[in-house]
Amino acid sequence: MHHPIDERGLRELLVESDDLQSDAMRSAKRDLGDYVDAALEARSESRDPGGQWPGWGRAGLAVGLAGAGTLLAASPAFADTALDVQALQTAASLENLAVATYKTALTLPFIGGADANGVVKAFATKTMAQHTEHAQAFNGAVQKLGGKVQNDPNAKYAAVVQQAVPTIKGAGDVVALAISLEDVAAQTYTKNVGQVSTAELRQLFASVAGVESQHKAILLAVKALLDGGAPQLIALPPDAAKLPDAAGSVGFPDAFFPTDKASPVEEGAVK
Amino acid sequence: MTDKRPEMGITERELNALTRDLDDLHQTTFPGVRGMLDEFSANLAGLARGAAKNRRGFLLGVGGATTLGLVAACSSSDKGASTTSTTAAASTAAGATYEGDLKVVALAAALENLAVTAYTGALDAAGKGTLGTVPPAVGVFVQTAMKQHKDHSDAWNGVLSKAGKPTITDAPLSITADQVKALGEAKSVPDVAKLALGLEQAAAETYTFATANVGDAGGIMTAATIQPVETMHAAILHFILGEYPVPDSFIGVEKAVKPDVLLAK
Repeated sequence: MHHPIDERGLRELLVESDDLQSDAMRSAKRDLGDYVDAALEARSESRDPGGQWPGWGRAGLAVGLAGAGTLLAASPAFADTALDVQALQTAASLENLAVATYKTALTLPFIGGADANGVVKAFATKTMAQHTEHAQAFNGAVQKLGGKVQNDPNAKYAAVVQQAVPTIKGAGDVVALAISLEDVAAQTYTKNVGQVSTAELRQLFASVAGVESQHKAILLAVKALLDGGAPQLIALPPDAAKLPDAAGSVGFPDAFFPTDKASPVEEGAVK
Repeated sequence: MTDKRPEMGITERELNALTRDLDDLHQTTFPGVRGMLDEFSANLAGLARGAAKNRRGFLLGVGGATTLGLVAACSSSDKGASTTSTTAAASTAAGATYEGDLKVVALAAALENLAVTAYTGALDAAGKGTLGTVPPAVGVFVQTAMKQHKDHSDAWNGVLSKAGKPTITDAPLSITADQVKALGEAKSVPDVAKLALGLEQAAAETYTFATANVGDAGGIMTAATIQPVETMHAAILHFILGEYPVPDSFIGVEKAVKPDVLLAK
């Protein structure tokens, strides 16, 4: 297999990417901390009918730190810490499954071994690390809210993966499986934005949904090229002149991101 | 269409068919979004008529729906200051055409129009040969992304229209002139791709910010379902530029466009 990839260049890109990611991670952790404080405050103030709407103060501060105005916090009637914990646990279960799946995929010769495309291998490695960070973030919030951390993979989709593994014959099969997992995660978090109780948690789920959808976009493009028998075009930088026309659009099929495959909030909750 | 590149194992016809299938999927998804937007519109229309509460009781009244950017921070230990700031914000917004959630909607429509303008300009420049040879896949990317941004703009304008507000048909933003100037100076596909990437990232982060700052459930979900699409555009643009396509583990808000950038009042 021909791999027209500048390995040194790719490593430099990954280092730059890690620097950017570290900045984003610090921001996300700060937002998570604000969310936890706001949720705990909400729980405390919900016992005090005279108290102000939960989340207003801390959330306003968080938004102020982000550089802009005020926010509209949920009223006590909508603050539901138990539901928030379930959503976070379900999210962690999806992340744990993604990590395990990429880890297994990287043991396969055509993903992480000698036969692998360098870009696909680097992508799988980096994506696994990003899912690890997402799981840590979700579980960190669960723990601070007094819930039990979710260390297990999502049972429903773990069964799907288990069923798919014996049928895997090449990189295209792995990529197809990864697309399914990324899609479910992105759709779940997109839907969670409208289900959780505070502004900070809405922003957190949106923040991660955007990343999972990016994973999906790149995997869709990669799959089209693999299915087309053109793995040599999976390269950084790509030889754009040789890419098939439709490769320019296959990565983002919907003008509005769907949520019909979203996991129910309680699906991955710790019993 | 004939196959342009015989070394490809998949024909352009097959890939185009795949794209059509995906477009069909999009058309299937769109009615759900329309329903969400209709409800959002109804809520905002009720607000515009002075209704104290919306039909789901989620959207705050005008007094609580402070204009973004007017209150930087409200500490939990300073509840009096918070109340004062909220009142001041509502007072400041009095008489404005777009306020509260509607200002975010207008901002979103303007941002989408700016993206359409940028991609239209890119296609024009490509047609004139200003950008050199444009790979066909890049041309398809531009056309598809432009169409999706138009869909987003139409969606947001539908909300404004149903709320009885003027629609935003261009890009009345303080950043527009600089963006158009930069587009005019672009001499290559990477130049345009970098410009587009900046706009996509700004849009994605604005929607991320909006999920935490819009009060209506329908508005929150509309922002939530558009944001991933903009991040997907950004990922493909990173790839085209030869950059790692998913550089961040979390989408931030530092590049979010603030509502005070909107020139339409």
